[in-house]
Formats: sequence, structure tokens, C-alpha cells
Amino acid sequence: MTAWATLRRALPMAWRSLIRQPARASLGILGVAAVGALLLDMLLLSEGLIVSMRDLLARTGYDVRVTATEDLPRNGPRLRDVQATLSAIARLPQVRGALAVRFADAAVALPHDATLDASLEGVTGNAPHPWHVLRGRDVREPGEAVINESIATGSGAGPGAALMLRADCGVGTEALPPARLQIVGVAEFPFALTNENTIGATLGTVMAACGADGADQADVILVTSADDADAAVAAIKAVRSDLGAATNEQVLGRIQRTGFTYFQQISSVLTTITVSFALLLIAVLLTVSVNQRLGEIAALRALGFSRGRVVADVLCESALIVAMGGVLSLPIGAALATVLDRILKRMPGIPAELHFFVFQPTALTLHMALLAATAVLAALYPMHIVARLPIAATLRDQVAE
Amino acid sequence: MNDLVVEARSIGRVFQMPAGPVAAVRDVTLQVRSGDYIAVRGPSGCGKSTLLHMLGCVDTPTSGALHFDGRDVSALSDAARSLLRLRHIGFVFQRFFLLPMLTAAENVELPQSEAGSSRAARERRTRELLDYVGLGARADHRPAQLSGGEMQRVAIARALANTPRLLLADEPTGELDEATGQQIAALLDRVNADGTALVVVTHNDSLADRARRELLMRDGRVEREIAR
Repeated sequence: MTAWATLRRALPMAWRSLIRQPARASLGILGVAAVGALLLDMLLLSEGLIVSMRDLLARTGYDVRVTATEDLPRNGPRLRDVQATLSAIARLPQVRGALAVRFADAAVALPHDATLDASLEGVTGNAPHPWHVLRGRDVREPGEAVINESIATGSGAGPGAALMLRADCGVGTEALPPARLQIVGVAEFPFALTNENTIGATLGTVMAACGADGADQADVILVTSADDADAAVAAIKAVRSDLGAATNEQVLGRIQRTGFTYFQQISSVLTTITVSFALLLIAVLLTVSVNQRLGEIAALRALGFSRGRVVADVLCESALIVAMGGVLSLPIGAALATVLDRILKRMPGIPAELHFFVFQPTALTLHMALLAATAVLAALYPMHIVARLPIAATLRDQVAE
Repeated sequence: MNDLVVEARSIGRVFQMPAGPVAAVRDVTLQVRSGDYIAVRGPSGCGKSTLLHMLGCVDTPTSGALHFDGRDVSALSDAARSLLRLRHIGFVFQRFFLLPMLTAAENVELPQSEAGSSRAARERRTRELLDYVGLGARADHRPAQLSGGEMQRVAIARALANTPRLLLADEPTGELDEATGQQIAALLDRVNADGTALVVVTHNDSLADRARRELLMRDGRVEREIAR
């Protein structure tokens, strides 16, 4: 008899065996569902941040980022002589567009002497702005600004209103005079943190708000390559070897090295633990079940069932428990990922649009492969018991009992 | 077909125990022919079940030679012995060992399915066998819904499923009351009368008295054989 024919005959038997012991089957299936859900989440977490960050970087349309050093934007010194640098980069044939961005903190004045902390982004260049206008229009002139929904809600202001703010540009300790900005639109900022108040304006506006502090400086130049990011990086380095230019993938590599490694390590450890739990759970359930049925199994062997057939019964039973538990683990895992994502996003410094758990087909494939391997490995010991079962001695022992 | 079903020549079975080797069966020579009805009796631990297991090819002798249908059983692989049991040997156990999640009919179908019978052939044969043992109306009942005697009748039907040449029964009335035991004994008589060789291990005198040959065992040896 072929292995396939053996498995085909064993499957209905295994199914009935599970139905016969609903408590045991339910325990196994729910156990696998629980650890399967955790396993799925760990697999989603292991690559989720990277996938989400890659998506976020790509969504803005820039594929090269230029900073003063190899540090990530806002983590190192600012670019100096930014207008000249921007022009030099924008002129390169490998570059389609370039945009200098300067970040600053600001306190927005509210009625009754109250203030609202905000993040200010000033931009200049020939590439699209790194925000998406939802209402009103984009900034065109110095003195104009777009605000995000959070600040619109917090200040009650909208397009057409004015905004008074006092910038903190991180240079010097001198108090800067208040700046008056005309709100022209409400926009979405992909890299804004959760509940962060963000204002977008021209670089000139931000420089004016910052006064003499850090004039002609920017934190990053965002570049859209003509068609090849690597070629654009090479061209930028050829003209300005003192700057740090990196493609999105290189930026991701830096982020992965500095921050995301912890999540990958944690997810690897938890993946190993959850798979081990699943393995132990199923192995124990099957071993107990087999030990309870030794007489029946010996009788089947005496009636002519081959060793392979009774082993296949155990394997199929394991496969059914894991398959049903695995299917159940998907919605549980998805729900759990949503909850965990919300909790983790409360960490400081995490962009609201960044997700820790991102669904990927490869994670699902790996999830299924790991569960399938678990089903086989968990069945090994009980299969060994069944395969090595001495028929005559077992029948004798069962009668003696 | 060869009239000789099983031939044991000076077979013995020694178990290696922690306290030393124990000879459960010693130097037994026996021939079982088509239509034979043999009862094996003796005190507990005298080797009756071990002899039965060797005749049924679930255990192999440690000495002597055992031939089934002229084939040397010790030369067969485990898979070949399984196939031999599936096609030519039926077993009836004291504790029935029916699969509790299957109905009576499904229990009887099981060995046929394993032997590769078609669904139609299996259903026909199962109906025949359940009628034969008087349980045609209980085909869809699970073992838990049957009495001890009914379970043993289903077990006999299951043992006969692939039309074996040899039916081995180990204390088939051991778990049954006297009256039910008599019904099972009558059923076994009928099975034997229909041509199946029968070897029964029993402590039950009335069952043993129905056999045409009786082997009395003591200390692993056949002490006496009574022919009727």
C-alpha cells in the first residue's frame, strides 16, 4: 500500500478519534490556536516594523536621503549651506527633485495664555512636499502654513485662520520672538507621531521663526532619483563626499541596526518558546491518547493493520489538531496583533503611521510551515510508541489489567 | 488449497526478564488443519495465550519452526506478517477491543477496508456478517450501546470480515455471563461448522467441551491432547 493510500485511510479514523474525545480534541485545538496566534504575531513583529517603515519611506516618494553625517535625520548635526547644497544636488542628472527639510519645535499660542507644543517642518526645493493636503491648499509663500488634524482640533483653527507660535530651534538659549503664520490648509504628515501637533511651512518661514539660529541649515535633503536611487547616491557622493547620502534600503538598514534589532530578537525568542509550547502540548495530548488506546491499537495490529497504518493514524490525528488550531489561530492572531500594535505605538517617538505588526504572505507561509513541522515533530514520540508496540505483550497486559 | 493451515514444530518462546529468561512455551508441536476446532486449556500462566499469539503470527517463536500455509513465519517481514494476519487470520479477544468511535458495521468494515475491498463489497459482506451473528438490526449502534455478548458477536464478525482460514479466540467468554457465553460458544460452533479452523484458549469447560481436540497445557508444554 502506498503512503498516500495509507494516509487516506488513516485520516477518517483520526477524525473520528478526535470526535470521540471532544474534550481532549478541544483542548488541543484551542491550545494550538493560542500558541499559533502568538506565533503568527511574533512572525509579523519580526519584520513588521521594517516593512511598515519601508512603506512609509516609499509613500512620500523620496528614495534618497541626504544628511550631514551617517546619522539618521534629527539624530546628528544639521546640513550647513543648505541652499547651495540643495542646488548642487538638484542639478545632478541622476536627480529628479530635491527638498531640504528643517525641523524645529514650537509652542503654538492659544487663547487665555495657553500653548500647544508642536513640531515645525520647513521645506524648500523642487520636489513635492512631504505631506498630503486634506483640506484647503498647500503652502506657496513664506508666512503660510499647513497644520495637521491634531493641531486643527487642539487649537480650533483651520484654513484662513492665523497661528501665533514661538519656535525653539535647538540652537542657543535666547528666547525667539513670536511668529505669525497664515493657515492655508490641513494636511497629513506621514512621519507625525501619534497625537503630535505638526505644522508645515516653507524653509524660509522656519528660518524666520528661528531668527539667526541656524540660518541656512536643514536636517535632511529628501531626493527623488531620476530612475535609480543607487546611481543618485553615487552622484551625490561624487559631488559632496562629506555628506551622508543613503537610499531608503540603506536607511532601513541603519534603522534596523540601531532600533529594530531588539524587536527581531524578542520575536525570535518568543517564536521559539511558542513553538516549543505547541510541540509539548500536542505531544503530551497524543501520548496520553495513545497510551489510553494501547489495547485497541494492539488489537488492530493483531487483525492485520500494518505498523505504517497505525503510525499514520497518530500522524493524521496530530495533523488534524494542528490544522484546525492553526486555522483558528489566524483570526485570533490578527485580533491580538491589532491590540498589541495599539499598545506598542504608545511608545514615544513612534510615527502614527508606523505599524509593528504588518501582514505579509511570507509570514503566513512560515507560520504554516512551522505549524506543519510542529505537527510532525509532536507526533514523533507517540508514533514511536505505536510503531514499537509489542502486540502480544500489550494484549496480555490489557487482559491482566 | 492446502489442508494444513498452521504447523508448529517444537516451538518455544522464551522471554528475557530482568530476573532471567522465562520459558513461556516449550517444545510444542501442533498441526491445525482446515475445519479443526481446538481448545487450549490449562492453569493461568501456563503459556496458552503465548501459544495462541505465535499461531496467530503476532509473536514469533524463539525456537522451533512455525509454518502458516506452508510459509515459514519467522522468515517473513513485519509487513508480510501483518498482511498474512489481515487476509488469513481472525482474532477474537476477551475484552473485544472494538473501536468505540465506530458503529458495529464500521468496526466490521475496518479490516475489509484495510484489505482494499471495494465499498460495495464491504457493505455487502458487513451486512452478511452482522446478520450471521444476529446483529443485523444493530449495525448502526456503537459499542457503548451494545451488551457484552453483542460486542463479542460484533468482534467475531470483524474477525471473519476477510474470510480467514484460521480464527483464534483468547478467552472469548471470559467477560461474559454463563448464558451469554453459551450463545458465543454456539456462534463459534457455527463458524467452525462453516469451515473456519478454530483455536480457542479458554477456562470455560462447556466451551472447551465443544472442541474436537483439546490441548491441556502446563508449564509451557502440551501435557496432554484429547481428541473427540
